[in-house]
Amino acid sequence: MTGKDTGAAATAAQEIFGSGLSGRLAYGSSRECILDVNAEELDRAVPGLAARNFVLSALFATPAYGGEGYVLRYVFSHAGSILVLSRALSGKQAKSIATIFPSATWPERECRDMYGIEFEGAFDTRRLVLHETCPAGFYPLEKSFKNAPVATKKTVPPAEEYPFRTVSGDGVYQVPVGPVHAGIIEPGHFRFSVIGETVFNLEIRLFYTHRGIEKLAEGKDPAACVRVAEAVSGDESAANATGFCMAIERLSGITVPDRAWHIRTVLCESERICSHLGDLSGMLTDVAFALGASHFAVLREEFFREQEKLSGSRFLRGMILPGGISRDIPVETLARYREFLARFAKEFRAGLAIVLSTPSVIDRFTQTGIIRKPLLGPLNITGPVARASGSGRDVRVDSPYGMYDRFIPVPHPLNDGDVLARFTVKAAEVLDSLSLIEKVIAGMPEGPVISADGVGDGAALALVEGPRGENLCWVEIREGRVFRYKVRTASYCNWLAIEHAAPGNIIADFPVINKSLNLSYAGTDL
Amino acid sequence: MVNAVSCMLGKKVTGPLPLRDEELERIGREIRREINARFGRSLAIRELDAGSDNAAEIEINNLNNAYYDVERFGISFVASPRHADVLLVTGAITCNMAIAAQKTYDAMPSPKFVVAVGDDACDGGIYKGTYAVLGGADAIFPVDLKIPGNPPAPIQILTGLLALMRSAGKRT
Repeated sequence: MTGKDTGAAATAAQEIFGSGLSGRLAYGSSRECILDVNAEELDRAVPGLAARNFVLSALFATPAYGGEGYVLRYVFSHAGSILVLSRALSGKQAKSIATIFPSATWPERECRDMYGIEFEGAFDTRRLVLHETCPAGFYPLEKSFKNAPVATKKTVPPAEEYPFRTVSGDGVYQVPVGPVHAGIIEPGHFRFSVIGETVFNLEIRLFYTHRGIEKLAEGKDPAACVRVAEAVSGDESAANATGFCMAIERLSGITVPDRAWHIRTVLCESERICSHLGDLSGMLTDVAFALGASHFAVLREEFFREQEKLSGSRFLRGMILPGGISRDIPVETLARYREFLARFAKEFRAGLAIVLSTPSVIDRFTQTGIIRKPLLGPLNITGPVARASGSGRDVRVDSPYGMYDRFIPVPHPLNDGDVLARFTVKAAEVLDSLSLIEKVIAGMPEGPVISADGVGDGAALALVEGPRGENLCWVEIREGRVFRYKVRTASYCNWLAIEHAAPGNIIADFPVINKSLNLSYAGTDL
Repeated sequence: MVNAVSCMLGKKVTGPLPLRDEELERIGREIRREINARFGRSLAIRELDAGSDNAAEIEINNLNNAYYDVERFGISFVASPRHADVLLVTGAITCNMAIAAQKTYDAMPSPKFVVAVGDDACDGGIYKGTYAVLGGADAIFPVDLKIPGNPPAPIQILTGLLALMRSAGKRT
């Protein structure tokens, strides 16, 4: 991953800053353009990038190493070309860009909770990550805070409860759901405003499973920290471990052996299939089509068992390490896995045929929970959810990493943006991942599976395409330890799509809409 | 129409599951016996994610897939804590979930049992001693059984439930 990006990012920076740019544009190890900007330049750049159809992929703060204050990093992207604007703050005052880039709303609230940085002009200044029981003036990611239990409130008086947006009018009533839901799922709160049976407005509230992942990572040995990356979201363990390790490899200049990258690709694609199978099964459960749901659930269980044979863990944990993988997979194990995949493909297609010839399923899926294309950019929606609404974005194609420049995924975008489109896209991606795994195993070279190079100091960005979409991670290593680990999973952005997908549908269709988006609470709450 | 009629009248074809796990069947039979003897033939479980990374939820959900199909042993997962005999807690108790977790426990009728599933629920796991969590499930409830693992596999969860049934027998 070297060479200068001459794509959209460099061009946009050139156009916006003109001669003021001379020699200031730097290039990161993920081929991203990096530019240090002051307040006035940021003001100029933001509308300029919006006009050029850039999306705000991430916004996060990092403490300035060896100095005072913080650096705000704005990661913009356009067709795989990335521009990172770094804005050094001497105090805790910044300016909100959320009115121009709505995907800045949550990150700005998050920076406020975690560091106490105030964003002037922000339209939403409610707490996001830390809930009401958390004491005021407590900023967990400040370096002066040493990670230890804090005294939380045992009860919350009504006056201090979270203020949901109020929706009123004739016949409008509220349906509060969660955080503890009726099924075996993660916690979150949904506040529906309903007229009759139809959802008029939905506001979500998350971060109930906030476990302090980013603080937990700080000060850890990089290899030991993979365990933390795997805990970001259980069903994306391999994707997040890969992103974390890739960032470390890039900042240290480590070259991962080819065989290790082949195996990582097998693991990540296997994880994608496993995740999609859960979604396909779940969507069918939520429209009460037990036959199809059971079919895919059985196949998923078989996948978990195969994953255990491959890696020793049903969730592929403990395999991926900085520099490669922890142990090789024997040839005969891979051969047996291929035999399984061939059997699986047949069974999968048979299940799909049953589902797609069942009118009651198609009827429930069609025109349900529509996400329209114009929403994708402003909210930075990615993954199969975006690809079912006409997006072509896929990190594996736009910014290939590992083996994806040799084994190229074939996108199957659809335009309808409803539950049926998401079901169909995920089913197509299962088959595509299958063919990728086949090719990767067939082309797997012999050789070592881990590099002997050590981890150095520095910082790097890494993007991976997890099962749910673009997972971005930024790792800074100082004195051989993790100084900052920022991870922004696809779910963090995709969650807001549900507030737009639900209105106009009846509450009874909400579960299937929710399942079709398959958002990770843990991966959002961190 | 012809299709529908032939479906109704035609020969039904079902196949055996390719994997019949004798170990699972044995544990299942024993659980069935214990549940019949002590829980009036059905054990109702309410699952509570108190701060998990979702892997444990997936494994608990897997108990309902056709390979395990634990309902045939008398175990059912219920929507309301008011219907539950057992609270199956996953994840360390986060500060943000503490109140909701306590309300869930309080809503259960006595006698009630709490089972911690996974390393984080057992003692806080990797989050032990950090700002965001209170600790394992025993930080706020009396815990009857701990099932370690990252996450524990379905068969381990089932084995744990059998151990709970047996210890419940001694308690009552």
